[in-house]
Amino acid sequence: MRYSVYPGCSLEATALSYMKSLEPVAEALGMHLEEIPDWNCCGASVASGVVGDFAQQVMTARNLALAEEKGLDILVACSSCYMNMGLTNKRFKDDAHFAKLANEALAVGGLKYNGTLRVRQIVDALVNDIGLDKIKARVKRPLTGLKVAGYVGCQTVRALPWEYDDPERPVLLDQLVEALGATAVPFPMKARCCGSSHAIAQTEIVLDCSREILESARSNGASMMVTPCPMCQLNIDAYQGMINKTYNTNYAIPTLFITQLMAIAFDLPPEASALKYCIVSPYEALAPLGVGK
Amino acid sequence: MAKKTGVFICSGCGIGESLDVDALVKVAAKECKAPVCKTNGFLCGKEGVELIKQDIAAGELDCVLVVGCSNRVNYEAFDFGPSVVVERVNIREQVAWSQQPNDEDTQAMAEDYIRMYMAKAKTVEAPEPYIAENLSKTIMVVGGGLAGMTAAIEAAKANYQVLLVEKEAALGGWLNKVYKLAPVKAPHTELEDTNLEARIAEINDNPNIKVYTSAVIEKTAGGPGLFDVTIKQNGNEIIERAGAIVLATGAVPYNPEKLGHLGFGMSPNVITQSMFEEIAKKGTITRPSDGKEVKKIAFIQCAGSRDQEHLPYCSAACCIESIKQSLYLKEQDPEAQAYVFYKDIRSSGQYEHFYKKAQMAGVMFIKGDVTDVSEGDEGTLVIEADDLLMGDKTMADEIDLIVLANGMVPTTAFEEGVYMGLGAVAAVTEGAGEAAASCDAPAVPPATIIKSNILNLQYRQGPELPDLKYGFPDSHYICFPYETRRTGIYAAGSVRRPMDMGQSVGDGVGAALKAIQCVELTEQGAAVHPRALDISFPDFQLTRCTQCKRCTDECPFGAINEDEKGNPLINPTRCRRCSTCMGACPERIISFKNYSVPMIGNMLKAFEVPEEDEEKPRILIFACENDAIPAIDMAGISRLQLNAWIRIIPVRCLGSLSLVWINDAMSRGVDGVLLLGCKHGDDYQCHFMKGSELAEIRLSKVSETLDRLGLESERVQARTVSIMDYEVIPKMLAEFMEKIEELGPNPMKGF
Amino acid sequence: MVDNKISSAPIKYDNTFAKEIYSLENGHYVKMCMQCGMCAVSCATRQIMDYSPRRLFNLIRAGKKEEFMRSNTMWMCTTCCMCKVRCPRGIPLVDVMHDLKALALKQGYVEYPQAAFYQAMWAEAFGRGRVFEGGIMARFYLKRGWNEIKKALGMKDLGMEMLKHGRMPIVPPRKIKGLKSLQQIIQRAQSLQEKEAK
Repeated sequence: MRYSVYPGCSLEATALSYMKSLEPVAEALGMHLEEIPDWNCCGASVASGVVGDFAQQVMTARNLALAEEKGLDILVACSSCYMNMGLTNKRFKDDAHFAKLANEALAVGGLKYNGTLRVRQIVDALVNDIGLDKIKARVKRPLTGLKVAGYVGCQTVRALPWEYDDPERPVLLDQLVEALGATAVPFPMKARCCGSSHAIAQTEIVLDCSREILESARSNGASMMVTPCPMCQLNIDAYQGMINKTYNTNYAIPTLFITQLMAIAFDLPPEASALKYCIVSPYEALAPLGVGK
Repeated sequence: MAKKTGVFICSGCGIGESLDVDALVKVAAKECKAPVCKTNGFLCGKEGVELIKQDIAAGELDCVLVVGCSNRVNYEAFDFGPSVVVERVNIREQVAWSQQPNDEDTQAMAEDYIRMYMAKAKTVEAPEPYIAENLSKTIMVVGGGLAGMTAAIEAAKANYQVLLVEKEAALGGWLNKVYKLAPVKAPHTELEDTNLEARIAEINDNPNIKVYTSAVIEKTAGGPGLFDVTIKQNGNEIIERAGAIVLATGAVPYNPEKLGHLGFGMSPNVITQSMFEEIAKKGTITRPSDGKEVKKIAFIQCAGSRDQEHLPYCSAACCIESIKQSLYLKEQDPEAQAYVFYKDIRSSGQYEHFYKKAQMAGVMFIKGDVTDVSEGDEGTLVIEADDLLMGDKTMADEIDLIVLANGMVPTTAFEEGVYMGLGAVAAVTEGAGEAAASCDAPAVPPATIIKSNILNLQYRQGPELPDLKYGFPDSHYICFPYETRRTGIYAAGSVRRPMDMGQSVGDGVGAALKAIQCVELTEQGAAVHPRALDISFPDFQLTRCTQCKRCTDECPFGAINEDEKGNPLINPTRCRRCSTCMGACPERIISFKNYSVPMIGNMLKAFEVPEEDEEKPRILIFACENDAIPAIDMAGISRLQLNAWIRIIPVRCLGSLSLVWINDAMSRGVDGVLLLGCKHGDDYQCHFMKGSELAEIRLSKVSETLDRLGLESERVQARTVSIMDYEVIPKMLAEFMEKIEELGPNPMKGF
Repeated sequence: MVDNKISSAPIKYDNTFAKEIYSLENGHYVKMCMQCGMCAVSCATRQIMDYSPRRLFNLIRAGKKEEFMRSNTMWMCTTCCMCKVRCPRGIPLVDVMHDLKALALKQGYVEYPQAAFYQAMWAEAFGRGRVFEGGIMARFYLKRGWNEIKKALGMKDLGMEMLKHGRMPIVPPRKIKGLKSLQQIIQRAQSLQEKEAK
């Protein structure tokens, strides 16, 4: 199965481990990924607040236009990228006036988008295209006994509500975790916001939001969190130390991308699980499965 | 009189596992001497029913005791035609399912029930219907507004003859006054034409409908099927016979003169919703003071409504009307500014789309209380308010026009032009309360009747429909909509309760169906709601009547008039068979063929009352068939354990309670009597309006007697039960039992 | 919560400012608010907002421009979309917030750190075609000045961890090849949007 892939800026830097695990996992499942050539930033959740929705969506549409020729579904890893790509794509389909105007802007760069593609979140593609059975069958190291809190975050399920999962009580990530042999613990905060990009401007917001999520995961017995969102992973993982310091807590919950967990379950080489990028060490939690440095 | 009674005992549904059925047979056949007594493991099945039918066909039986499940189930399976009386002895829900299985007390209970119903069977007879002569199935609709026109059209379409009486010269009612209607069809966002001509044409073209315009009703005599209505039109009197009546005389706007605090009267630019309709209908929306085109308008919602000083209720239609009217202005000038000051926007159902539409058009909705309306410069107005959502004092100025949403008042609430709907002392029937004075009975609160000069009923209890609340003549908004407290007369539209156009249409249809049900059942001699299909009716042994008038006073439906000598004069087609009259009569001269004071008396004398030393008390329960019995059945269905000392006698309504029964029970040594009836008071649930209340009033009388005899009056108590209360029944019984144990055994035991 | 109330006279309803908001891309949705408060109870950061979205919308409708402009509400939005999913009126609150932020920036209301962050990130995206965390931070601290840098020093542990785990490249990524064309497309889009608003 072939896909265009839109990595987004995070996957080149803070979320490097996402890209490093996504590629081998996809290959193991027979997904062929083709990166959109010379893609540009989607504007994240910020551009609209500076230049307005229309300019931001046109900016995003450049990527859609670049991908259209291949006619493949566009696989998106990052949540904000998924929101922007997805909403822009939907608007091209639903709003003819918008499409006309947007194409007028794209024409400046010699581009045009006809609205023929589908934008897919990774979890959506894994569960609905590949299927849980096939994933289960590919597992070589069942994650038996591993208690995982599936942290879905917000935009992947809420930007396009009901696109593939419940926007408030999503279930697919948990199903994916269970398909790998692990136990998905009940996790009421699974779709709660981590504080997002406030990390730089007003860190305490992220500390407060993320602490609640960590507490929910720990009180439900999770030894690990997995997520499909680079922002969630960054905030929960990198800021955990600061949370402990600020609130005098002692959380030590490693947070992996779902694809990293899949790489472990598929027993792919260590580069594929890319665990060295984790700031909170995952090795203690993974020791019972025989995963070491 | 039933002579040959067959007893058929079912052992299915767990009865056989819980009770000794052979012992029950012995009680029926040996002790009670039933000529036929058979058992079957599946009595409601084909074979079981056949068993009963064979015995009936052999001419053996005219009364059948089905000992098994509740009479709320398998009604049709055990219906053997009008000449065979069927009594259902409930030993399933009330015994097998709610008592300890294979216990001697459980067995004793089932045996007692057989004895009780065998005793009843001795006097029970098959009722024969009362079928009046010259019955009419014509439906008369009073009021030619939207609800009335709808009722007329619907009844005519169902092939009934319809008389439509309208006091104005033209049909249409309120529709004549409005510019456009709020949307009633998808997408529920567009203003709609009143479509009045087409509606009137539909009526004029229908040969089943006879229209009287400029006509009022002088007199309405008779009852369902037999209403003789005197119509006065252009000085002429016409008498028409109708089977049922739909009252759809609508409502009128609340008097704005009383709304001076909102600026009415201060400036000509403060107007009401109906005045605004007139302006919009004429063309351009302008200020009454100087004809200047309106640029800024404010609507004040709940002007009078939901206000204890004025109308305590919500008038239901005003929110949508103001939204509609704000759109009139937006239609004229999209740049014009409209404010709506509201308490709550009540735009239920599809009207939410309409509300949204007004928001999109830029109408500003302000939740808050208007604190002051004053005049500004150049004929403009200023509103000051407490904006609840802003949490602040606010003001809006340069307003050209203020529209007060002044709510509605039913036409039935006026007596000679004076609004009587707020519990002002309305005239009560002459003669009411007479009975109380004459025979030392406790006062029965009479129904309020406002003499609104609409129907002019020839009923002893008063000339119009009893008021439920605020002058509306319904009898219960939720449980019995349309049904007024006068059988065969159904209220529809805004005279019934405040409502909008869409609901008035629905009401017209609903009331027409009720009226049809009434004429059809009356033709069969059967009761209408809630005892639909019951063909029994009360019999008066007038030779023993003392003219005390209690039956005429207490009948909730005004079914009983009186003759010149003061004797009760029953109008059987008005009767709903609640038996309140039977309970009221101190001489016990009123009875039904299948329900009477001696019949129930025989039942309560038939069960065994153990001696004091056996330590098995007895509690007699009179339970209302409408809610209490179903609740007890549901307790059984839920397998809740009930007290083992109870014996239950179902009654049609607690209003039929005769004090003699209490007397007899106490003198037999029964330790306690419990009355289970429906909730009464302001939000009553009694199916016959006041039955449970009357029972409690009567009980207060017996209390004194009991106390005098040295019998604690706490031995007799009343409780209210709704059908949903089944879970609390075990506790209710346990608490009562506790009280009885505290009092000790009835000292009359063994006398 | 900051007390942003400016005067104690009764608030006079004035829809001039509301009309300005209604002319924004998603501004007309403000009209649709029925003040139920579902957004407020759904918001992840409600407790640190001056006004809940519901109250903010009410300020707009009443014409309280200064209170609105100075409030932090739109800046506290994390774009988690919970309110957008739940709003019974179907208002895309997140998108409305975009417009409100852009309006505040345009009119020079930039005191909240998020305003600087937004500008920094946008400069990065527009100037390079892709964003680079190091670049955003540099621009952000430049805008915010010494105090913010002091705060940043307090976070150096975190920075070190990021560097140690290879998650903070020191060298920015190359600009995208089609940068020039992207910039022209965006500028064209902005001018088209301005025309649309009129």
